[in-house]
Amino acid sequence: MRIIDTKGQLCPAPLISAKKALKETISGESFILLTDNQTSFDNLSRFLKDNKTDFHVSESEGIWSLKVTRTDGNVNQMRAEEYCTSNISHFQKGDFIVVISSDKMGEGDDQLGHLLIANFIKALKDLDKLPHKIVFYNSGVRLVTVNSSVIDQLRDLEKMGVELILCSTCIDHYSLGSVLGAGTISNMYTIAEVMASARNIVRP
Amino acid sequence: MGERIKIDLLEMVEYGGCSAKISPKELEEILKYLPLPKDPNILVDIDTHDDAGVYRVNDDLALVLTTDFFPPVCSDPYEFGQIAAANSISDVYAMGGEPVLALNIMMFPSSRLPMEAYAGIMQGGYDMATEAGVRIIGGHTIDDFPPKYGLAVVGYIHPGKIITNAGVRPGESLILTKPIGTGVILAGQRLKMVSDHDVDEVLKLMKLLNKSGAEVMRKHHIKGATDITGFGLAGHALKMAKASMVSININMRDVPVIGKTYQLIDDGCIPGASFRNLDYAEKDIYFSSDLDYNLKMLAFDAQTSGGLLFSAPDAHVNKILDDLHDAGLVNSSVIGHVSELKEKFIYMNN
Repeated sequence: MRIIDTKGQLCPAPLISAKKALKETISGESFILLTDNQTSFDNLSRFLKDNKTDFHVSESEGIWSLKVTRTDGNVNQMRAEEYCTSNISHFQKGDFIVVISSDKMGEGDDQLGHLLIANFIKALKDLDKLPHKIVFYNSGVRLVTVNSSVIDQLRDLEKMGVELILCSTCIDHYSLGSVLGAGTISNMYTIAEVMASARNIVRP
Repeated sequence: MGERIKIDLLEMVEYGGCSAKISPKELEEILKYLPLPKDPNILVDIDTHDDAGVYRVNDDLALVLTTDFFPPVCSDPYEFGQIAAANSISDVYAMGGEPVLALNIMMFPSSRLPMEAYAGIMQGGYDMATEAGVRIIGGHTIDDFPPKYGLAVVGYIHPGKIITNAGVRPGESLILTKPIGTGVILAGQRLKMVSDHDVDEVLKLMKLLNKSGAEVMRKHHIKGATDITGFGLAGHALKMAKASMVSININMRDVPVIGKTYQLIDDGCIPGASFRNLDYAEKDIYFSSDLDYNLKMLAFDAQTSGGLLFSAPDAHVNKILDDLHDAGLVNSSVIGHVSELKEKFIYMNN
């Protein structure tokens, strides 16, 4: 059985290890947590109880061993990306927009170009400041279809309050109208206005 | 010429930062046995769970007295001095008073830190006090490890215009002037889970005086307020509800938060103080059955130099929010409302 040793660690480090292990464990599976600190033990117990796990404790010579089993118990928790509200921006936005004009990033091998643009979009989510808007035109609109490898990331960005603006002419040209997975369809006037009024434009 | 030593105050404090404040539960037990002095001129004491005492001098003047000090919350001595001073002065603002005088309280390990650190802390405290219009006229230092710093502050207030925990009325809306999450971000910083950007944001917020917020409160004749510090949003809201004999409903999704606080909690970065605060307050709180666990723990995050929490009649809320936003408190939000006392003092929802 997997053993997570948090001896010598003070809160919240043991909780972080416990949470990580919980996320990596499937229902019915168990792992063992070790701690040698009374406060950490108390906090871990409370945390595991609130997270609806089954756990058993044994103690010897100042070391607590918690055998933790993940249950089907449902903990009310959103994915971090879904945590945002309409009136307060919990995710800070920077002074920039992103313009994506192709489904590839950079010049060279096409396969590499596809991989790079996907990685770029994944990285956007982790920036300290998110873009205000992302504009997609020409083959860039292909990234926003249901079969795109980054559609989940783009949906997350949208939930985090980033507006995705799609070129209608481009969608018609590539016949993608029925397979769009996110974003708002706009005309060239809106796109020109968004780009003209942006303080900074990032183009991958 | 010796090289300039890089001072990092955070190396002085115990990893985890869970130990700076005595549990509110234990504190309450002890205070129960200490008789409160009886004097008609004592207008506010610990009885209403307020952080500052108020003493009537004459019909036009009362004094607000408060003190607070703690171990370092950041690396730089000057910034630590600024934050500790802003935090100490905040209690006067929360009562609607005008801070006037202060004394330094310093514990400093002279054998383990260069005197530049001492000077830096004092200078930070002095500059923040000056910004608040407070004169520091003395103080006391003892040799002690780890370092701790703060102020004892005296303020003026009109005896008829005191804002207390007990002034909250049913039907009013609850407004918070600063985002929360300083405890989580500082704990995450020690574990290197936080971006510099979020740390900068926290430092900026902790250094921000509640002066402008207090001016808005006075302008709108607010009666009930507190500042959010070590007991967390839920703990301080509970003290208000108890003192005012009302129930307070908090909508956690409306509470402004700092940077990636939510994600950090989701990763398990929950400081020990949050559990202590939860333990103290939970018997008086109804948690809605669908309450998000991370938002629940956010409500108990201990704040350093947090914002003001006050209640206002619904009809004035928009004007008050406009004034707060204009004063630079851009995250000020309505986070809940007050009702007649029900079974529990606090009702917490998503």
